[in-house]
Amino acid sequence: MDQLDEMLLELKDSSELMIDLAYSSLLYNNKEIAEEVVLMEEVLDELANDIQRQAIARVMRDRDEGKAFTVIKLAAAVEEISDAAMQIAMVTIDDDEPHPVIRLSIKDADTTITLAEVKPGSDLIGKSLGKMRLASRSGMWVVAVKRDRKYLYGPEKDAVIEEGDVVISRGPPDAEKYFQDLCSGEERLEE
Amino acid sequence: MYDLGREQRLDRYDLAHATVRDILTEMKDISEIMVDLAYASIMFDSEEIAEEVKNLEEDMEELSKSIRTKAMLSARTHKDAAKLSSLLEVAAASRRISNAAGDIVKLMECEVDKRPFLTFILREAEEKIKRLVLEDVSDMVGRQIGELGVESETGMRIIAIKRGKRWMYDPEEENKLKAGDVLIVRGTDDGYDVLRSFANGDEKWPEYPDEDEEED
Repeated sequence: MDQLDEMLLELKDSSELMIDLAYSSLLYNNKEIAEEVVLMEEVLDELANDIQRQAIARVMRDRDEGKAFTVIKLAAAVEEISDAAMQIAMVTIDDDEPHPVIRLSIKDADTTITLAEVKPGSDLIGKSLGKMRLASRSGMWVVAVKRDRKYLYGPEKDAVIEEGDVVISRGPPDAEKYFQDLCSGEERLEE
Repeated sequence: MYDLGREQRLDRYDLAHATVRDILTEMKDISEIMVDLAYASIMFDSEEIAEEVKNLEEDMEELSKSIRTKAMLSARTHKDAAKLSSLLEVAAASRRISNAAGDIVKLMECEVDKRPFLTFILREAEEKIKRLVLEDVSDMVGRQIGELGVESETGMRIIAIKRGKRWMYDPEEENKLKAGDVLIVRGTDDGYDVLRSFANGDEKWPEYPDEDEEED
């Protein structure tokens, strides 16, 4: 992958994280997460611009306008997704308390968001997300970890979970309970 | 769902009886599946999946109209109206996501030889879209997606199934899997490996006999 490909990949992955974070902010009426989405949107805006600029520079160099056209179109579409995430986050920021139906709708969805505190004795403590293969074992994908007062957004595979962490994750409603129980220590990670 | 006509498609949402809450949930679900399907269409160079994304985009338009009307009718006070207007903002955002997915599939109209790099990029994404075939020796055969709990067990979401020549998009929990089904799935590499070992019969699908009793 060259630099442009990597930038596109980052744009894609980040736009999806933003959507998850935006819904998390709504569900938990969490303005801090919503503000993060707004910040990310600014960064992605720049990233999308850079991608488009680079694509054009390449056309001038390589005369391959087909690829540049595809890149520019894709970057614009993905950026639109990040704008949508911001639109959702702005509802959290602007409203004292979002409409209760919004929360119910998120909870009813095929993919929902859940939050759990990692209690003493939990199997997750001291392990990295990648090593314990949390996503494939629990069905839940971690979108943010709050440690003390700081958030880690879109944690990498090597992020290690600590006691007291608050983990926000996304997944199917029927995986929620197992995930909650893993965090509380009531369930063990099965081999 | 299988290919349906426009009216039949809309019947599925039962807009006459759906509440604002139902429609918002539906719009969130559709917007997300659309993004997955849009990337899948590029990944597998599938005009059929791209067509479904376009159909869903049209569905979203109808859902969007319906939720606006219903929200307006349900507002009784100024405060109600203000709160509902932010709810509509969330609906509008999911519509926006669906439009973006629609734009992604329009890339299918670009020259084919200009797209391979996209497949290459998508293969490196955090969550990937992949496909696998359900072998007849797999004990997933004949069972419902929801009963198995495919996503909670493996972290892999089945976004589409190809059965013979027919496609089923965003299959329901009640859908039974059949031998030979081609599953288009989204998730991590690791989850894919786990699911594949079940799908080709190398591993037995885990059973949790006590689970139901505990829940009751």
